[in-house]
Amino acid sequence: MTQTTQAGVRGSAPDPGGAPRRQPRRTGALVRALAPLPWIGPAIGLILFVVIWPVIAMFQTSREHYSSLGVLIGSAGWNNFTRLFAEADLGGVVVRTVIWVVAVVGMTVLISLGVAQLFNKEFPGRRFARWALIAPWAASVVMTSIIFKWMLDPNNGVVYVLLKQLGVVKNFNTNDTNWLGDPTTAFWCAVFVAVFVSIPFTTYALLAGLQAVPSDVYEAAKLDGANPLRTYWSITLPLLRPALLVAALINVMNVFNSFPIIWELSGGGPGSQSATTTIFMYQLKQSSIGEAAAMSVVNFGFIIVIVLLFLRASKWNSAED
Amino acid sequence: MLALSALGVAGVMALSACSSSSKSSGSSASGNVTLKLLAPDYGTAGGPDSSQTYWQGIADDFHKANPTITVQVTTVAWTNWDQVGTQLQNKQYPDILLGDAPQELAASNLLYPLTDVMSASTISNLIPVFAKQEDSNGVAYGAPFTTSSRALFYNKKLFAAAKIASPPKTWADIQTDAAKIKALGNGTIGYGLPLGPEEAQAESFLWMLGNGGGYVDASGKYAINSAANIETFKFLTQLVKAGDTEPSPATVNRTKDTWAAFADGTVGMAGGSGALIPSITKAGKLTKADYGVTTMPGKTGPLTQALAVHDDVTAFKAGGHAAQIKQFLDFAYADKYQIQFDNEYSLLPATTSASQSLSASDPVAAGFLATVPNAVVYPSNSNWNTVKTKIQQTIGTAAQGTDPATVLGSLQTFASNN
Repeated sequence: MTQTTQAGVRGSAPDPGGAPRRQPRRTGALVRALAPLPWIGPAIGLILFVVIWPVIAMFQTSREHYSSLGVLIGSAGWNNFTRLFAEADLGGVVVRTVIWVVAVVGMTVLISLGVAQLFNKEFPGRRFARWALIAPWAASVVMTSIIFKWMLDPNNGVVYVLLKQLGVVKNFNTNDTNWLGDPTTAFWCAVFVAVFVSIPFTTYALLAGLQAVPSDVYEAAKLDGANPLRTYWSITLPLLRPALLVAALINVMNVFNSFPIIWELSGGGPGSQSATTTIFMYQLKQSSIGEAAAMSVVNFGFIIVIVLLFLRASKWNSAED
Repeated sequence: MLALSALGVAGVMALSACSSSSKSSGSSASGNVTLKLLAPDYGTAGGPDSSQTYWQGIADDFHKANPTITVQVTTVAWTNWDQVGTQLQNKQYPDILLGDAPQELAASNLLYPLTDVMSASTISNLIPVFAKQEDSNGVAYGAPFTTSSRALFYNKKLFAAAKIASPPKTWADIQTDAAKIKALGNGTIGYGLPLGPEEAQAESFLWMLGNGGGYVDASGKYAINSAANIETFKFLTQLVKAGDTEPSPATVNRTKDTWAAFADGTVGMAGGSGALIPSITKAGKLTKADYGVTTMPGKTGPLTQALAVHDDVTAFKAGGHAAQIKQFLDFAYADKYQIQFDNEYSLLPATTSASQSLSASDPVAAGFLATVPNAVVYPSNSNWNTVKTKIQQTIGTAAQGTDPATVLGSLQTFASNN
């Protein structure tokens, strides 16, 4: 409505109004280009202040030599990086980070595909079930992790109490009840918790995608005699691809940066044997701020790569559409 | 990570906002001086035993006696202690800091020599073995404020149940006793071995001393991977493997895990300081007759020297208030306040006169105090703080599957290169 009236007004405007607009064209273009500034200025300022500046500070810190008490001793050149790459634990930490991201995101997406499919069907109590799924998402990740830590307390964790009653665990405070003390089991416990807290978001993203699939394609498939498996593979999955891609990539970034789960469950320990790069950065911070900053710079590099992949994928997505 | 750095910036902003306002009030024209005191909280922040209350009490008394000087007290929980590092990193120096050893700060030329901020009579009252620790190239840059010494706590109830007649004297005794206690079942732990990040350096040191080892050699150079230390960790590894300790000591912390479990009555033996006593009382599971304290066993016999640790007062030059700091420190080191602190937290005094009067009144403290003059202390190398944090993070793995020679070797490299 409004647009048509405006167009009408403009169309009926007399010539003198149009002529002077044309003469100072260059300044007009500049003014027009800058016109949105008052609106987007605060956002740009905020990004400069909370994103760009810390990044610069991080790069600076990675080239400085601080004592463990935080006193600046002088420039370190590239020493922090040489020391970081000389850390015996670094190789294991990087490999573990890759496993962490792949395992958590892979399992999350697979499970969420199933759950989303289920939630897309009508069944009694669906509304309640959908609400219940939000709980792990709504709860603070730190809180969830602490609860899992309690459930796995070697002395009286509820999981072990149950297993003891089932006869699987023989005695508390032994290797039977040491899942969080052993680096391998601690890591997989963390993976489990990470999947647990990632499923809600992923499920809802996929559910939205499923609901966007028009029902007439399914009817057409039915008429053509496609079986359910074939329908899922040839119709649901391809049409779900945009949602799937977004969900997976957001999860990759989230999981890569995830700090609280591993930190609360095992502290990255024993030593750094269950740490990812994010945890390792924090562990390094205790003894060397500069080296931790160097680790952050490396992490930042990883993130940039992931973001570029994301941008590329979303472009590819829209091109396909 | 971005979110983390953004938070860091916000924190810095908040800190600088605080400091600029306090600075303006600190240098007001009428000759009034505000001293900023920063101390760790040995109690519970916000609780009745918070060290904030303790220091505020001294600050108020002091202000009454010296109306032109106000002491502004800030306490930080030990678990958040790295925020002090952030503060120093941003050049927000307090006037007086209670905390770690002074060498690293002295090396950065931030501190007053002790003689500038404490009168000779107070200095001469400091317990010599600790006072000597404050030196950097022969000059003292700090003063011990509170100390503690380590011994072996054992649970007499569990010892009786496992039919063990006397407390252990040697490593072999620990191993047999721990195995017997372990065999009692119900999740009982034989020996509590907290080699997690909180205090691994102390527990490791206790064991190293038992084999004639330590962090440094006789000349003061780091000797973390000495043959004696490697042998010590080989012993610990098989102790852990046999199931005589917690299953993964490298993730076990002292206060929250081992001491809490000891207070709960489920640990047979554990190294501890006087500070363990209040947690035992608070848990209410063990009476005074249910536990005993004995000298920490070594490989072939009890340690001849106890391990004693201390926290130190240092004074920063940045504020330029040497005279006022001197007045305050002389005031705060009075026996009254030293003893008040030790009663509150079951720690030990740092001055000779306070030790004497505490020994007379408190038999438990007297037992610990008797070991102090002959105590072993941490190294005073200038990078000890940095090395200590690395030890806390990694040394536990040497008792839990990783080859001790590898772990101690990389710590030795770290200590010599940083």
